[in-house]
Amino acid sequence: MIAAELAKQWRRPRTLGTLGALAGFSFALTIALALSGADQLQRVGDIPLLIVPERAGSSIPVIALASTMKFFLPLAVAIFAGESIAGDAAVGSLRYALARPLSRSRYLLAKLLVALLLSLVAVLLVPLAGLAAGTLAFGSHPLSAIDGSASTALHSAILTFSATDTIARMGVGTAYVAAGMLSIFSFAFLLSTLTAYPFAAVAGGVGLTLVSRVLNSDYLPGVAVLNKWMPNNDVDLWEHFFQRPAQTGGMAHFLLLQLIYAGVCLGAAWWWFARRDILV
Amino acid sequence: MIGAELAKQARRLRGWVTLAAMAAIPAVLTLVVGTTRPALAERVGDWGSVVTDSSGLTLPLISLSAMLLFMLPLAVAVFAGECVAGETAWGSLRYLLARPVARGRVLAAKAAVAAGYSLAAVLIVVLVATLTGALAFGVHPLTVLDLQHTTPFIVASTKLSPLSAIARLGLASAFVSAGLSSTFAFGLLLSTLTARPFSAVAGAVGLGLVSRALDNVPGLHALSPWLPVTDEASNLWTGFFLNPMQTAGVGHALLVQALYTSAFALAAVWWFTRADVLG
Repeated sequence: MIAAELAKQWRRPRTLGTLGALAGFSFALTIALALSGADQLQRVGDIPLLIVPERAGSSIPVIALASTMKFFLPLAVAIFAGESIAGDAAVGSLRYALARPLSRSRYLLAKLLVALLLSLVAVLLVPLAGLAAGTLAFGSHPLSAIDGSASTALHSAILTFSATDTIARMGVGTAYVAAGMLSIFSFAFLLSTLTAYPFAAVAGGVGLTLVSRVLNSDYLPGVAVLNKWMPNNDVDLWEHFFQRPAQTGGMAHFLLLQLIYAGVCLGAAWWWFARRDILV
Repeated sequence: MIGAELAKQARRLRGWVTLAAMAAIPAVLTLVVGTTRPALAERVGDWGSVVTDSSGLTLPLISLSAMLLFMLPLAVAVFAGECVAGETAWGSLRYLLARPVARGRVLAAKAAVAAGYSLAAVLIVVLVATLTGALAFGVHPLTVLDLQHTTPFIVASTKLSPLSAIARLGLASAFVSAGLSSTFAFGLLLSTLTARPFSAVAGAVGLGLVSRALDNVPGLHALSPWLPVTDEASNLWTGFFLNPMQTAGVGHALLVQALYTSAFALAAVWWFTRADVLG
């Protein structure tokens, strides 16, 4: 069941196109940086982390993950989750799939696992392609970064991480970002069981990141109290791994929040899908 | 033609709901800020800052700054994305086009009415914010802090008389409206391409998202001045509230908007005059 679903999704141009675009993003980023300003300090993320890309190839995965985590990765995850059920409904094959002697829950579970796997591949692909492209372009050297939050005008806090240390920190950071996509994934998956238009489910998943960003005290005054309950705001906390000592404040709360969003949305998706009247 | 379209849209609930939301958000914002943190400085744009209870005229600045990211583009996308695709979804587009009016004129009338609604959305935000702000905090001279030029030793600020502040507010509204025109034109183009209004609206909002995401990628800074929607360009209006008025980059931003708007609008006209209308 899962193997059949995986084989089906893998053959779709949409899957390969999305994954290809993400890998291409890391390569394009490397080329753009190599052509312009690889020898200058680049600011990474909202938590000020300053890196000179040219000095170490392992800087590229950091930059690539930081610049995709707020929009391009949620988009890819929303595509995989939003397409899963609604994609079948849109081409009219859902009722034939459900006519097979399998319970709806098993069908839903297979869809869920395959979409989860593809989403995980998407998140892993960005830093991996970045590491490959970065090492090719700039070589494997220790990464030095300036911690902007610990620096003053007179003293800049320069930290150096060995190549293996950087990769280990990036590994944990990537796992954190992957876990942080869970809320978007689950919401898009829920929408996918509700609508027959895949585009609506994908747009809804991306819409959740938008709501998260709009209800942020940086943009809208007076909503600071909501900040820590928003699904996508704290996904950038992994950048604190590149401080010394590594800061982990707020991470446990964010991961718990992801589990809550996932539990509610996936539970609702299962409840609804098991009872739904399938017409197409 | 325009009159008929206007009468039709005025009977539809969607436009009124959207405009009502645009009026409600600044009012709620005044209420929330006024009850929870009236004496605090709120950031406006990239570098500006105003102390809310110093004058009611701070509220339009806070509202514009808060709604520029998402609410206003959404409203504009709703009006532009609905205008043709809404008819297609209802199945009334082919009857509309069967009337002895050129397709170009139909599109122009629809676009003009949608543009009018979009402009109204921006104006309503500014007007409601000014009115509720004036009621809550009174009409006093407006003081704007310039965080860019403020050092520990000097506070750089500009004090504007109410009249001058309102005149500058008009200018700012015009610039903000112009900044939304690429989103509007893209929504209009999508509206002629799809039969589902939701897709056109989401696509038009998506233009701003993709553009902003690209703007924030290090290494692609060379692209930034030519993207349709960037934080830097959309926040240029805050420069109008300084003395002397800062207008650097405004001309370039308007030029970029004009380029995108005309490209999308031409594509919409080209496609709509040739499209095979089935719905």
